[in-house]
Amino acid sequence: MPKVESFLPLKTNWFHILLSLAAGEQHGYWIMQDVAERTGGKVRLWPATLYGSLKRLIEDGLIEESEVRPAPEVDDARRRYYKLTRFGQRVLDAETERLEELVRMVHLKRGFEAAR
Amino acid sequence: MRLAIRLYSALARAFPYEFKVVYGPDMIQLGEDIVQEIAKKNGFLGLFRLVLDIAIRLPIEYLSEMRRDLSYAFRTLAKSPGFATVGIVSLGIGIGVAAVSVSEVMNLILRDAPGVRDPEKLVLVTGVSYPYTEHYRDQRDLFTGVAAFQQAVPFNISLGDSAGSKAERVFGQLVSPEYFSVVGLTAARGRVFHPDMDKPGSAPIVFISDRFWRERLNSDPSVVGRTVRVNGTTATVIGVGPKDFQGVLPFIPADVFVPTTASASMAPELSADVIHQREAKSFSALLRLAPAVTQQAAEAGLDAITRNLDQETFDPARNAKGRRVILLPGGKMFPIPKAVLPLMLGFMVVLNGLIIAIACMNLANMQLARATARRKEVSIRLSVGASRFRLIRQLLTESILLAIGGGAGGILIAFWAAAAFQKAKLPFAYPVKFDITPDWRVTAIVFSIALAAGIAFGLAPAMAATRGDLASAMKQAIVGQTRAHRRFSLRNFLMVGQVAGSLALLLITGFMIIGFHKTNTIDIAFDSSTMYLLSLDPVRDGYSPERAINFFDNLAERLKRAPGVREVVLAHSAPFSPQLATFTLSAPASGGASDQIVSGVAKNTIGPNYFAALSATILEGREFELRDQRADPAKNLAAPVIINQTAAHAFFGAIDPLGRRISDAAKSYEVIGVVKDLSAPLTQTAQGGTASVVPVVYLPLTRAEFDHPPNSGMIVMIRADHQMDVLEGVRAQLAAIDPNVVVFNIHSLAGQVGDTLAYLRVSEYVYGGIGVFGLILAAIGLAGVTAYSVARRRKEIGIRVALGASKAQVLRLVMREGGSVVIVGSVLGLLGALALSRALTAFSSLFGPSFAAGAHDPRLIVGAPILLASLAMLACYVPARKSARIDPLVALREE
Repeated sequence: MPKVESFLPLKTNWFHILLSLAAGEQHGYWIMQDVAERTGGKVRLWPATLYGSLKRLIEDGLIEESEVRPAPEVDDARRRYYKLTRFGQRVLDAETERLEELVRMVHLKRGFEAAR
Repeated sequence: MRLAIRLYSALARAFPYEFKVVYGPDMIQLGEDIVQEIAKKNGFLGLFRLVLDIAIRLPIEYLSEMRRDLSYAFRTLAKSPGFATVGIVSLGIGIGVAAVSVSEVMNLILRDAPGVRDPEKLVLVTGVSYPYTEHYRDQRDLFTGVAAFQQAVPFNISLGDSAGSKAERVFGQLVSPEYFSVVGLTAARGRVFHPDMDKPGSAPIVFISDRFWRERLNSDPSVVGRTVRVNGTTATVIGVGPKDFQGVLPFIPADVFVPTTASASMAPELSADVIHQREAKSFSALLRLAPAVTQQAAEAGLDAITRNLDQETFDPARNAKGRRVILLPGGKMFPIPKAVLPLMLGFMVVLNGLIIAIACMNLANMQLARATARRKEVSIRLSVGASRFRLIRQLLTESILLAIGGGAGGILIAFWAAAAFQKAKLPFAYPVKFDITPDWRVTAIVFSIALAAGIAFGLAPAMAATRGDLASAMKQAIVGQTRAHRRFSLRNFLMVGQVAGSLALLLITGFMIIGFHKTNTIDIAFDSSTMYLLSLDPVRDGYSPERAINFFDNLAERLKRAPGVREVVLAHSAPFSPQLATFTLSAPASGGASDQIVSGVAKNTIGPNYFAALSATILEGREFELRDQRADPAKNLAAPVIINQTAAHAFFGAIDPLGRRISDAAKSYEVIGVVKDLSAPLTQTAQGGTASVVPVVYLPLTRAEFDHPPNSGMIVMIRADHQMDVLEGVRAQLAAIDPNVVVFNIHSLAGQVGDTLAYLRVSEYVYGGIGVFGLILAAIGLAGVTAYSVARRRKEIGIRVALGASKAQVLRLVMREGGSVVIVGSVLGLLGALALSRALTAFSSLFGPSFAAGAHDPRLIVGAPILLASLAMLACYVPARKSARIDPLVALREE
C-alpha cells in the first residue's frame, strides 16, 4: 500500500469526491450534485471525469464499491455505490490537516502584519 | 440536445472494455439524467462541455490502459530474463541484418546524388565513345542535354606554381563542357564549364569541389583565378561547386573536374585523340531526358542510334543481337539498371524476410510455449471478466515490447556494420564512398518492420493462448493432458516452418561461402610476401610520354641495383586484382567456318618477364620481351598476344593456337604464347560462365599505355629475394632518378591479395554468422517445443512409467514428435533452398558462378541437413531424457 503522503496535495476533484463520500456510501450522480452544490457550481465534475476519477481512486485504494446499499425505497438499483476506505479516510484527514495548517499559517502571518 | 446525448453515448461505448463493463452503464445513465438540466441551465455551451469532457477522457483511459499493459509486460519479461534475452537478441540479429541491407539500399541505390537538379530525369550510358555522345546530343526530341564524362580519373595536383612542389593524387572527373548544364549545377563561386566559352585550345582550367576547396585550399576566399598544377600543367581554378556536390555517381567522390577540351598532357585520358575515335569507348554519356520522354522511349531511341553507329566500327560484337544500350539512373549515388532493381530488391527481401521470419517464428514458438504455461493465469483473468481482446492486447504488448527491443538492437548492429564498412579497405585503385550509416528513414523502416513482426508473430500465440474452455484449463484436468495431440497444430506448423527456414538459410549461406571459396581463392606459385607493388605515374607528374617511356625503360635496370631485388616488371593493373570489365573478342576461322566469338574475356596489359616474375608456367610459345613493348603499333599489323589455357580452348578448341589471330574492335593480334590459368578473383564473367574458368588475353604494354596510364598508375612489381626488405633501397633508387615522381600505393602482393579477399572474407563471415544464427535459433525453438510437450504429457508419461514402460520406450515416444517435425521441415527446407539457389544463379552474374559452384557441393547438400537434424534431435533429446526420469508418483500426485 502506498503512503498517505504520496497523495498530498490531493487533486481538487479527488478531494471533493472523498469529501462527498465522507458522510457515507453514495453513487456517482449524487456525488456530482453534492460537489456542485457545495461549491456553488464552481467545481463541476463532468460525467467522464467523474468516473475516470472514481476508477483511479478505486485502483489506488482510496475508495471502494460499497456492498451495503441504502434502504430499498431510496436505492437506485441501476447505480453503483461507493464508499471511503480506511486508507481513503486517512488521506482525506491528512489533506484536511494540510489545508488547515496552511490556513493557520496565513492567519498567523496576517496577525503579525496587523500587529506591526 | 438529442445529438449531444447520441454523441455522448457513442463515445461512452468506445471506452476500453474493462472501464465500460464497470462504469459504462452508470456513465451513460448519468449523461441522460443530466442532459436536460444542462441544456436548460447552460445551453449549447454546457452540452458542448459535456461531450468535450468525455471526448478528452477517452484517449486518457486508453493511454492509462496501455501504460498498465506496458508495465505489466515489463514485469513479466523481467521475471523471465532468459526468454527476454533470447527473444531480443534473436530478433535484434535478424532485424540488424535487415537494417544493414535497408540502409545499403537507401543510401546507395535510392538516394539522390547531392547537387543534381531533377535527378529523376538524369540517365546515363556507360562504355561509349566521345563521338557517340555527339550523335546522342543531336536527338533533341529525346534529350535536352547530353554530356560525356569519365569517372574515377586521377589527377596529380600540386598547389604551388613551381614545378618542384610535391603533388598529391586526387580523383575527379573528366567532363565535356556541357556536363554542368546537364547536371543542372550552378557554381558556389566562379563559374562552371560552358561549351560556348571552353573550346579546344583555350587556356587550361579546372573546377573543384567544395570539399577540395575547404580541405586542401583552406577555404581560400580568392580561389577563383588562382592557379594550380594539374598533372604538371598550370591551370586556373574557374569555380567551386556547391556544398556536398561530388560529381554524378558520387560513390566514387570527385574533387576535381577537368574539361575534355584540355590537352592530352594535362589529362592523359585524352591521348591518342580519343575525342574523335569512335572505337575508344572509354566515356559515359550523361543525358537529361526531355520533358514527357520516358526512359523506355529514350532507351529504345538510343539503342537504334547506337546500333547504326556500331555498324560503322570493327567491334566483333557489332552484329550481336539484344539490347545495345542499357540506361542507368544518372541522378543516384550508385547506378543500378532499372530492370535489375526489382530483382535485386526481391532477393534482399527474400533473404532478409527469411532471417526475420526465422527469428519471429522462434519467438512465436517461445511465446506459445510460455502462453501455455500461463494458461492458468489467462483463464483466471478471463473468468473474472477480462475480455479476450484485452488479454490478447496484453500478450501482444509483450511481443511488441520484445520487437522494439530487437529493433533497437538491430539499429545498433546497422551502425556497427556501417562503421566496419567505412573502415574496410576496398580492392579498388580509387576511393569509394561506402557510407551506409542508417538515417532516420532507415530507422523508421526498421522499426516498422520490427513492429509488424512483433504484431504478426505475437498475434497467433496470443489468440491460441486465450482460446479454449475455461474450466478444463483452470482445473488442468487429465482431459487437457492426455488429449490426443493434434498433428498439425499451430505449434507444429511453426516448428516445421522454422526448421525449413533455418535449413534453407544454412544451405543458401553455405552455397555462397563454398562458392566464394571455390571461385575466389588465389593460388600463387611463390611466397607472396616477397613481391612488392608500387605505383608510378610520371605522365601525371608532368612528364611527356617520350620522357615517361624512357623513364620506364631504364627503371628495371636501375631498381635492380637495390640490394635483394631479383626482378622488376611493369603491368597495367596489379596481378590477381578484380577484373570488373570484360570484353568480346573473335578468332577468325579458317576455311569458311564462322568466326569464333568469345565474350567475357578479361584483358590484362603487362610488361616483359611478367610471368617469370610471378613464377607462372608458359605452356607454349614465349612471353613478352622488350621489343614487343617498343614495337610501333601503327607499323605492326598484328600485335603479339599471350592467352591463358581457358582462352586457348575457347578460341581455338584443340587446334594449336600459336601464330593464330584474334581481334577486337580496334585491332588484330597474333598469339605468341599460352600461359597456365592464373587465379582471377571477383571477375565479372559472361552470363552462364563459371568464374573458375575465365578466358584472359594478355596484351603487351605499348606507347598508348605510357601516354595514358590507368587510374591506378603504372604498377611496378618487384620480386625480392626471400626475407629481404628491399623497399628502402628501391625508394633510394627512385629518388635518385627523379625525386619529383610521386610513388604511391606501396604494398606487398600478400597485402594486395589480402585486401582483395578481405571483402570476400567479410561476406563469408557475415553469411556464415547468419547460417549459424539460424541453426542456433532452430535448436532453441525445438528444445523449447519438446520441453513444452514433455511438460504437457507429464501425467501421461507418469502413467506409462507406472504401468511399466521402460525409459527407452518413453524416450522414443517423446522423440517421435520432434523427429517427424524435423524430417518434414528438412525436406521442405532442402527443396526451398534448391529453388532459391536456382533463382539466384540466374539473377547475378557476379555471384551466380560462385553460387552454381557451391550448389553442387555434396558436402553441403548432405551435410547441412544432417547437421541441422542432429542438432535438432539433440535439442529434443535433452528434455526427452528428462521426461524418462519422471517419477510416476510425483507426476500423478500433482494437483
